[in-house]
Amino acid sequence: MKIIDKNFKEMMFSQTFSIIGGVIAGTFLAIYTEKILLIPGMLIILPGFLEMRGNISGSLASRLSSGLFLGIINPNKFRTRIIKCNIIASFLLVVIVSFFLGTIGLLINYLVFRKLILEIFFIPIIAGIISNAIEIPLTIFLTFHLFRKGEDPNNIMGPIITSTGDITSIFSLLISLVIV
Amino acid sequence: MRCKKSFKKLTRIKKQKYHKIFYEVHKKYGISKKTLFYMKEYGPRTNATKTIIKESVKILILASLISSLGGFSLEYMKAIILHLAPILIMLPAFNDMIGDFGTTISSKFSTFLHESEIKGRSWLKRELKKLWLQVMILSFITSFFTYLLSLLISIISNYSLSFSIALKVFIISILDTLILVNILFFVSTFLGFRAYNKKIDPNNFLIPITTSIVDFGNMVVLSFLVFIFF
Repeated sequence: MKIIDKNFKEMMFSQTFSIIGGVIAGTFLAIYTEKILLIPGMLIILPGFLEMRGNISGSLASRLSSGLFLGIINPNKFRTRIIKCNIIASFLLVVIVSFFLGTIGLLINYLVFRKLILEIFFIPIIAGIISNAIEIPLTIFLTFHLFRKGEDPNNIMGPIITSTGDITSIFSLLISLVIV
Repeated sequence: MRCKKSFKKLTRIKKQKYHKIFYEVHKKYGISKKTLFYMKEYGPRTNATKTIIKESVKILILASLISSLGGFSLEYMKAIILHLAPILIMLPAFNDMIGDFGTTISSKFSTFLHESEIKGRSWLKRELKKLWLQVMILSFITSFFTYLLSLLISIISNYSLSFSIALKVFIISILDTLILVNILFFVSTFLGFRAYNKKIDPNNFLIPITTSIVDFGNMVVLSFLVFIFF
């Protein structure tokens, strides 16, 4: 039984990529612990917030890839109705999920820890909008670029999105903390 | 008028159900069923934004809820975790890494199940054993690599790290990954076999189940291990 085969190497490559992105995000988290995590309830919303980026941008990349492969989306045209719809939908999804995360954070804080901290409600919404403004154009650009280069975006976009998503999420959390 | 009514009916067909017109158009004009389906969902006369939101919002909210429940256990251990820089650094990386393993195990196992129809059960057993060994080796290597990176960054950023803390964090990182990967393997194979025997495609529900287990499980197992060791 050959253990170290092509599959093993592919898994190793994608894991290395996502680990590096995760460690960079974790480093920022550790550096700015006092700013980010000392707010009560931040650890409740943090896993969901980090995951949301990957879920929404991952689906976006996958929908665009399908459209590109089927020939419905033109790889040389960005300003089409289908792309506009995808951008609007992704933006709205982020706002809805962030709103939900903020509400959960606020409720758990109040019901379990007996603390009413309104920042916990606004932080994910503002951070979600900021991270989306970076992540969505990046996802669209990379998916189109990879497709034009003859690569299958489905195989590459997953680890790229999770890694970049973690980093942009932590950055946007920091910016939203400054705003709030 | 009748044509308009029929067309209205057609646009209301649920995405799970391929209407027979798909097969007829596919047969007559040679357009792939995938293209027809994509056009039905996101074509020029559809509200693609509404379709995307409607189909994604429930699963996204559910995923956020599960992750928040996992985060709740972290919040309880906050006082300890905040003082353990290597654990904080590893946290996002571990979530990504174990999540990727969950997706890989589920999708590969689903494919194995379909292929075993032709290649037989003994082939399936052999492939499963191989996948388990590959994932175990990879999870050990990647968690060790993550541990080393987080340790290095902690040292560079002047975090006072004693030998006992470094050793405990090492044990936590390896145990957390190995426990979760084995749970993922067990759940994927158990549910995958059950679904397959009931003639349901495991592809459609194994990935959401395994990612939910990772979101919730990683936080709970990590908090539990931190509680035991510190």
